[in-house]
Amino acid sequence: MQIQASIDSAVAEVGRVLLGKEPQIRLALCCLFARGHLLIEDLPGMGKTTLSHALAEVLGLSWKRVQFTSDLLPADILGVSVYNRNDASFSFHPGPIFTQLLLADEINRTTPRTQSALLEAMAESQVTVEGETRPLPQPFFVIATQNPINQSGTYPLPESQLDRFLMRLHLGYPHPRAEREMFQRRQAAGERVALQQRISAAQLAQIQAAVGAVHASDNLLDYLQRLVAYTRTAAEFAVGLSPRGALALLECARTWAVMQNRGHVVPEDLQMVLPAVAAHRLVPSGDYAGDGMALVELMRRNVDVIRS
Amino acid sequence: MKTDQLIPRNALVWIIISLFTLVAPHLGRIPGWVLAVYVFAATWRIMVYQGRWSFPGRWVKAGLIISSFAGIYVSFGSILGLEPTIALLLTAFALKLIELAERKDGYVLLFLGYFICLTEFLFSQDLPMVLYSLLNVTLVTTALVAMHRPGEHQFNRKTIRLAAAMLLQALPLMVVLFFLFPRIGPLWSVPIKSHTAKTGVSDFMKPGDISRLGRSGEVAFRAQFEGDIPPVADLYWRGLVFSRLEEGAWSSLRYFDIPPAERRPGPVETTGEPLLYRVIMAPTQQNWLYSLRYASPASGGVMTSSDYVLFSPTELEDERLYSVKTWPDAVLEPSLSDWRREIELRLPPQDNPATLALARQMREQAASDAAFVDAVLARFRNEPFVYTLDPPLLPGVDPTDAFLFQTRAGFCEHYAAAFVVMMRAAGVPARVVAGYQGGELNPLNRTVIVHQFDAHAWAEVWLGERGWVRVDPTAAVSPDRIEWGLERALTGQGSFLADTPLALVRYRGVAWLNTLRLRYDALTYRWQSWVTGFNRDQQFQLLNDLFGGISVQKFALVLLATWVLVLAPIAFSLLRKRRGHRVSELERHYLLFCARLQRVGVVRAAGETADEFGTRAARALRREVDEIERISALYNELAYGSAAHGAAGPDTRVAEFRRLVRRFRPGRN
Repeated sequence: MQIQASIDSAVAEVGRVLLGKEPQIRLALCCLFARGHLLIEDLPGMGKTTLSHALAEVLGLSWKRVQFTSDLLPADILGVSVYNRNDASFSFHPGPIFTQLLLADEINRTTPRTQSALLEAMAESQVTVEGETRPLPQPFFVIATQNPINQSGTYPLPESQLDRFLMRLHLGYPHPRAEREMFQRRQAAGERVALQQRISAAQLAQIQAAVGAVHASDNLLDYLQRLVAYTRTAAEFAVGLSPRGALALLECARTWAVMQNRGHVVPEDLQMVLPAVAAHRLVPSGDYAGDGMALVELMRRNVDVIRS
Repeated sequence: MKTDQLIPRNALVWIIISLFTLVAPHLGRIPGWVLAVYVFAATWRIMVYQGRWSFPGRWVKAGLIISSFAGIYVSFGSILGLEPTIALLLTAFALKLIELAERKDGYVLLFLGYFICLTEFLFSQDLPMVLYSLLNVTLVTTALVAMHRPGEHQFNRKTIRLAAAMLLQALPLMVVLFFLFPRIGPLWSVPIKSHTAKTGVSDFMKPGDISRLGRSGEVAFRAQFEGDIPPVADLYWRGLVFSRLEEGAWSSLRYFDIPPAERRPGPVETTGEPLLYRVIMAPTQQNWLYSLRYASPASGGVMTSSDYVLFSPTELEDERLYSVKTWPDAVLEPSLSDWRREIELRLPPQDNPATLALARQMREQAASDAAFVDAVLARFRNEPFVYTLDPPLLPGVDPTDAFLFQTRAGFCEHYAAAFVVMMRAAGVPARVVAGYQGGELNPLNRTVIVHQFDAHAWAEVWLGERGWVRVDPTAAVSPDRIEWGLERALTGQGSFLADTPLALVRYRGVAWLNTLRLRYDALTYRWQSWVTGFNRDQQFQLLNDLFGGISVQKFALVLLATWVLVLAPIAFSLLRKRRGHRVSELERHYLLFCARLQRVGVVRAAGETADEFGTRAARALRREVDEIERISALYNELAYGSAAHGAAGPDTRVAEFRRLVRRFRPGRN
């Protein structure tokens, strides 16, 4: 019960800076609770960076921010060995990646070389610089933001790297009422609201432990398998969900169930996390005009929840 | 236009392929420009696919239609008749391709394709054509399947495999329907093939007719004997009797030329065991049928004329199968009526004076009619007469004189005609008989294959009590023709099938080729007797043999039973496949709950969860809110909750759920 309260207060706290986006905030938290990395994709000025900052603050994690540009090099993120004249040896200067939460802003504006350096670290929770492997602090999260891929000056992430992100969120335009409230606050541009930590490290561990104990019934696993099978057989899909994608879906649904204070997963949990988890992993076939989100909608509409 | 209505690339490829395979068998009958229209339409459609050209506008389409009509009219001189209409249909079929935009256009085109596949049978129902049509049906079905697989851009063979599997499944049904489906007479008649000539022996004999047939290697008919096959020299297949000689041409008596009392054949005494055989004739567009004498028809729809020739009341537009009983030794017409005698003696009075004089002189020297016949035959044998397919032309006046005293070269019809003229001149009733002589024995299935080049003419002489006796003057001149057939008779002349160098019959000398040809011929015979010759009578016979007696009820029962026999295994296997995943009791009852709600108008969507559906249903049915909520909640708990939930075990909860659902009877609000 206490976990529930602290999650709610964390959502409320983030909601102070990002108005009217509660579902996205909850999904973002769900992603981090499920030990996954988060990708936020939207147009400039929609609050991507605000959300990632706020998340770092309410979780009370040590965080660093890297603004990705086209001339950023891998060493700028991972760190570099510098010759120390005093004791005639090289000493390693860790890069910004050595933190609990890394905010990678506009990840698709940098070159593939730098992107892959980051993504490798995300996959393995360790970095190898000059032949020496160094573990990253735990927990380690990456919240990356990116502009829609068809904007100019971007290097789109390939599917294999998109797959490293557990969720991809779209923020979208705010509700008119929320936008009105934002205007009324007359907040000065650039002024930052300091947020309180709402979830302690102990609570985070507690949530993560609870996720492992959530029950997924045979009926639910059947539904999950039907969803996955649909993406692999229906004509609209060029690429269906991989086993890793299916596992990610189940993990997120479990976490979502914990966040709803429930000991078992129900189909609604799956449906709730489906767009964020599946959309960026699906590729529509050439004859199909829709994008990943449309494919997810097809899955939701056409796969029967109850086996018949 | 919605994307899912587009024609996928794979389907387009199959459609274009099947378009060309469908038109291929018609190529001989349609003008060349129709094929050009096909190439043009295919090119246009491919250009449209590649985005270089666009679909034709309304005026272009109208122009194409009008010019096709005009083209057909110019090529055929008419737009009515079988060939012009089919050419028109084929042109329209090609033009439809260039307005093939959406899936519904594809349906029109492909269903028309099935119809076009059928039109080939108006011209040929041979085995190769049927096999080819099966290929066409497979291709059209493949295109149809491909249209429903929008994801496949790459041209592939998976589609044709699926289509072939579907057609194979339909095969048993096709066979059953073919043999058992009631054969209703034609509902409308197909216009006669205006451009197909009548083939075979014609109903009057002009010099040169039979030599034309002598150059054709086509099969006239096949006969299958039940017992022993008589020697080839005795196989005189009677087709027509020519009793009238007028203006240099022999012709047969027409039905209405005969006085009513004489129209039916006289009674014939038969003794001994008859020969039994079945004949399958190629279409001739004529009425008469071939048989050995004396023949009595053993199947329906065959009649006997007054000169003991079999005929069919309708023209033979398709292959025809009939059974015959023959008593070779029966005596035909031991007494002649006055009218018949007069007819069989009549000669143009002033023609051929030399022949007449010779005949009268020879008759006076002979002791009897029979002796006179022998004397005339001896004359043919001893004088320098020559058998040849390329005789010198005879003059229009007194041709028999010219033949007997000057040219002395000719083939069967010359000899038969000259012989009959001499007989009649001497007062012996005689007539010319036309038909086929001999045939090729196919030992593989005991059939006699009679080719067009076996066409022959001989004579019949009436010798008092012996009735009509067959006399073949050609045998006197060229015994080889009768013993061995035309090919041997013409050895050294090089005129056997001279015009058709590729006819397989020419290469009888090559052993393996000959075996192959005979094997194929046996197959053709079986095909004709079982498939193309399978008509209403045959069906009746088959059903009678199989089920003993026919009644409407029995027929319906048999038809139904076969359908069930064929369809039941398919249905059963489908059912089993569906049962492959077993629906648990819980789900079955939840689905029952959904079904009951559906009956009052609340339908669950596929992606709707139990909670969402419950909420929606509760809003729709205010009176049953409690029950709906309880059922939905209980289902959710039982389906997704962990087993540890609840004090009672899951079994009792399932029982409770079942009770709730069974008692749930939503009424309309």
